[in-house]
Amino acid sequence: MRYRFQHLDRIYEVVFEHQGSAYLANIDGQPYTFEVLDAQPGVLSLQFEGRPIMVYWAKDSAAQWLARDGCTYQLQKPTSRRQASMVEDRYGGAILAPMPAQVLGLRVVEGDPVEKGQTLMLLEAMKMEIPILAPLAGRVVRLLVKPGKFVEKDQLLIEIGE
Amino acid sequence: MFKKILVANRGEIAVRVIRSCREMGIATVAVYSEIDRRALHVRLADEAVWIGPAPATQSYLDGGRILAAARKTGAEAIHPGYGFLSENADFARNVLQAGLVFIGPPPEAIQAMGNKSGARALMQSNQVPIVPGYHATDDDVTLAVKAIDIGVPLLIKAAAGGGGKGMRVVTDLKNLEEALAAARRESQHAFGDTHMILERFLPRARHIEFQILADRHGNILHLFERECSVQRRQQKIIEETPSPFLDEELRVRMGRAAVAAARAVGYQNAGTIEFIVDPEKRDFYFLEMNTRLQVEHPVTELVVGLDLVQWQIRIAAGEVLPFDQADLSQRGHAIECRLYAEDPANHFLPAIGKILNFIEPKGPGLRVDSGFSVGDQVTIHYDPLIAKVIAWAEDRPSAIRRMLFALRETVLLGLTHNGQFLQEVLMDEQFKLGNVYTTWIEETFGDWQPPMCALPTEVLVAAALTFFHSTPASGSEDLARVAAGKDPYSPWQSGSSFRLSSGGPPETSPIRSTGTGSGLLQTEESSDAATEER
Repeated sequence: MRYRFQHLDRIYEVVFEHQGSAYLANIDGQPYTFEVLDAQPGVLSLQFEGRPIMVYWAKDSAAQWLARDGCTYQLQKPTSRRQASMVEDRYGGAILAPMPAQVLGLRVVEGDPVEKGQTLMLLEAMKMEIPILAPLAGRVVRLLVKPGKFVEKDQLLIEIGE
Repeated sequence: MFKKILVANRGEIAVRVIRSCREMGIATVAVYSEIDRRALHVRLADEAVWIGPAPATQSYLDGGRILAAARKTGAEAIHPGYGFLSENADFARNVLQAGLVFIGPPPEAIQAMGNKSGARALMQSNQVPIVPGYHATDDDVTLAVKAIDIGVPLLIKAAAGGGGKGMRVVTDLKNLEEALAAARRESQHAFGDTHMILERFLPRARHIEFQILADRHGNILHLFERECSVQRRQQKIIEETPSPFLDEELRVRMGRAAVAAARAVGYQNAGTIEFIVDPEKRDFYFLEMNTRLQVEHPVTELVVGLDLVQWQIRIAAGEVLPFDQADLSQRGHAIECRLYAEDPANHFLPAIGKILNFIEPKGPGLRVDSGFSVGDQVTIHYDPLIAKVIAWAEDRPSAIRRMLFALRETVLLGLTHNGQFLQEVLMDEQFKLGNVYTTWIEETFGDWQPPMCALPTEVLVAAALTFFHSTPASGSEDLARVAAGKDPYSPWQSGSSFRLSSGGPPETSPIRSTGTGSGLLQTEESSDAATEER
């Protein structure tokens, strides 16, 4: 049984095998033995390499969430949407919404030349104004939102081209 | 005493107030917007009234609807919590005119302190020191001239503001115009007012505030200080008491000034005098008074040993404070950490999402005030504060240790939050020494990123083990199969005896993937299914 996950920029692969009453996980060529002591919705207890450990977990449609020792990990299936949009974006001027928000106002129109660091538009979420700045100099090629509109995280807002 | 109180708020503070009411045997009425229909505060109250759609302006900020809810349910008093209508003098006045009790100060006191320019003038005439600045005519031209006099760094503040909203730091006067416009817009949005004041921005200053408790019979006491210098985006994230900076002499002087400031406006009920303190000169200046309960009130409660919400209610009901200043003392040390749905690695921008797993820390000296439970959504409509984790111990080093333990024990999954960031701040040497100031977080952790260390192996194994524990929300066939215990991958199928299939790759699994292009499984009903099976 083979599983692949992405955490931050790295891809991880886990392979499971039976080994008597315990199990063997193979990660990057390293074997690890473990037993499952208890499995509950939201929490898993393992005897991992002879050490008892607890890992808290949850899932939604986009990610697997795990917590251990005060650290939270968000795991995805490799090749996220963000990566896909990066591939198409050769100039680097595709600007995505940093979070779900409402478009408060636009500071540019299509065709405008922009300088690096210039405010392109204002978003608002939780009563806070979030300025969207040009990451590089160029020209507004496409403007995909209107004031008052609600945008999702990572939604393409504006495209800066040469 | 009141028989029924309406709580005009949501989230953790509404829950906090409802709990004190329940302890006192007072019935509670919750109000809720459309999106909060199943929120925790609604579930805990004795009655709940719908007051409008999700946007706060049409619900929690609509005084008329809240008053109508109070009349409809026969509530005798209204507790406003913090934020929303808590510092709205007109609302307080309307509550009184409706023949109800406002659990807070008189409207005149709110008004006097609510306008920052007026408050500055009033403090000046009462010998309470104020920050050098300007607080009169506020047209752009006058402000531009005054800004040159005051010099940079400069703070633009909404006269009606609070909570860091409608506030901008200007370090270069050429940005004044844009900053002013942005602050005015934000203020218009948050407070319905565009008036601005200017203050010299004191770099590396500390923010230390004093808790006031005043009854309706002229007794005004302070409940000592709270050190609130650990801030990001001009909003507090860690608060503690006693302040590691104050000595007894300064504490007494500031306490007296705080009481004088409260007396100047005829203050009643709980309130807070905020000071900024110049750590070099050890001078302090009146910043503002928050005429309401503060988010960080629990640290005072733990060290002084009083329930502030209970005292707010008792004072509003006309009781006399049965203790005086000499009866109060600080015992031990308390720290609060605000667990926010936000991304510390990305300018602390608010995050949203569904809370999928939430386990609060427990143990001696720990308290958690939260307004959410598993399944709740954190939306863009309201403040992203999820919970306040509060630790008390005999001294500051022990309280820090206990807080770190508490944060390590806290599980919050389903959205990006600042739990790990808070731990790193608590472990910082300068924090341990108490050498903090309001811009310290920005200067020290400005480019903070979560540690890029490799994923722990056991976490990766757990991810793989739980990969197939799921039942598509819509798949009745799958639910039936899980119920019958035939899911070959389910760790839940036979109690703790866990079996793994060595079969094909995930793609050939009979479990249908419903993820939105991510290939992961929908697990909305997973807990239910797992319970069912047992």
